[in-house]
Amino acid sequence: MGEERLAIEVSGARKVYRARVGGPKTVVHDVSLRVAEGSIHGLLGPNGAGKTTTLKMLIGLVRPTSGTFRVEGRDSTRPEGRIRLGFLPEQPYFPMQLTATEALRLYGRLVGLSRAELRTTSERLLALVGLEGRGHEALSKFSRGMLQRLGVAQALLGDPRVIVLDEPASGLDPIGQRDMRNLMLALRDEGRTVLLSSHQLSEVEAVCDRVTIVNGGRVAAEGHIDDLLNVAGHSSIRARGLPEALPAELAALVEDVATSGGAWIFSVRDASVRRTVDLIDDAGGTVVAVNPKRDSLEDYFARMLASPKGEGGSAREVA
Amino acid sequence: MRNVLAIAAAVVADAVRRKVLYLVGVFAAILSVMVPQLPSYGVGVAAAVFREISLALVFVAALVLTLSLAANRVPAEVERRTVYSVLSKRVHRWQYMAGTWLGILAVAGVAVAAFTLVTQGVALVRYGDPMWRLWQGSFGIWLEMGALAAFAIGVSALAGPVVVVTASLAFLFAAHSRQALLGRDPHGVLALLYPSFDTFNVITPVAHGTGIGAAYALTMLAAFAAWSGLLLLAGSAAFTIRDL
Repeated sequence: MGEERLAIEVSGARKVYRARVGGPKTVVHDVSLRVAEGSIHGLLGPNGAGKTTTLKMLIGLVRPTSGTFRVEGRDSTRPEGRIRLGFLPEQPYFPMQLTATEALRLYGRLVGLSRAELRTTSERLLALVGLEGRGHEALSKFSRGMLQRLGVAQALLGDPRVIVLDEPASGLDPIGQRDMRNLMLALRDEGRTVLLSSHQLSEVEAVCDRVTIVNGGRVAAEGHIDDLLNVAGHSSIRARGLPEALPAELAALVEDVATSGGAWIFSVRDASVRRTVDLIDDAGGTVVAVNPKRDSLEDYFARMLASPKGEGGSAREVA
Repeated sequence: MRNVLAIAAAVVADAVRRKVLYLVGVFAAILSVMVPQLPSYGVGVAAAVFREISLALVFVAALVLTLSLAANRVPAEVERRTVYSVLSKRVHRWQYMAGTWLGILAVAGVAVAAFTLVTQGVALVRYGDPMWRLWQGSFGIWLEMGALAAFAIGVSALAGPVVVVTASLAFLFAAHSRQALLGRDPHGVLALLYPSFDTFNVITPVAHGTGIGAAYALTMLAAFAAWSGLLLLAGSAAFTIRDL
């Protein structure tokens, strides 16, 4: 991460719950996170991996057994350290008898907004999350998606420089998910830092600059998303116009083959790219694109979790 | 202080929306039914019995109101996770506890004042006397409810509503049974530590005597501040170490 300034720094986070039955249970063994200022950082992991507990320790909702938690240099486990931090909990709940505006005013007072600021900020944030004109409706009439949007609005109260979002797309329809992605990108463009915990890998892949993958309470991988997903030494070739039966030499050269709507997608070793392109040309086909081979995040995630290393081995760090 | 007041205001607004102050109406109805049933004592005695029954009813109504608010507020906010959006901001847990207590104290104060006004209205109609002395008794009841709310909120930092109500009622019983349990002249550590709410019990001098003086009112205030502060401190410490 070089000379970049860090917005969030978690070192050696560990949480042990003392259960009455069955002895102590360690849910977070050792998680460290370094999130650069002005970036979107994804925190990924299967259920029970320790993501939410790590976030709760960062926010001060859960007392860490050990570790340090800093947001813009301040200890975020203490209220004074959360001055520049906004948090969207997973499935945010509000006092349902309030209206959206009343809820924002309640939380706005807690971040020190004046009466005048509360009025203007509430309207601006409701518009920002797509709830313009809904401020006077009772929350009991809000859908889950609308409550999620309101949760984002409350996280943005007080103009935080660092925003932690726990499953922000949960409960949102496709349009809402797209809006959420755009909002995160807009926040980054404003120079804010977003730490995103999500199960929606497509969302993470679309917006995150770097990701940390947690499994079994430990960091299993960390790095730039391109570096994690690019398959070293392989390229992907997309071609059209090839016969159904591939020439023998071409078939022997390519590894994975996929066809869709008349298009062929081959995975080949980098050293074989030029020869493969020639063979496609000889077979009467047209090369449409040649790119570094890239996994989908879903594939990467599944493969990592299936490997022994993914079950709590040493972390893989790339780039 | 700003955070404490914001949380207290939310508690009050929540109580108003939940229409808990309708208890005042129920209380007024009970009083209206009960007063005509009073036996015909001699002049003055009937008024004293009226004052005693009225204050007892105010006590019971305030107790129900206080426990229904204090026992449920923190556990419900934790269970529904509404507390996350509060405590993830620059809010200390003691501020959350103090704000919750202050809000409940305010609601109990409004309710006790309303109960007292209703009682005065009935007294005026029935006896032609507004019985201003009733406010002394109501003041004691309000302070006692404040101290009890601090206990209930403290217990609710770690337990659910059923445990909180049970523990609060047990505490209330114990706090009014010091003399019965320890004797008239207790000694030792237990005598020092044993809680007593007897200071707040001024129903007898208010109903049958000449009321209480300013000095005694200050004594009640001091006991209220000491008990509430101590209990809130313990509750806040318990809530601070709790994982949410």
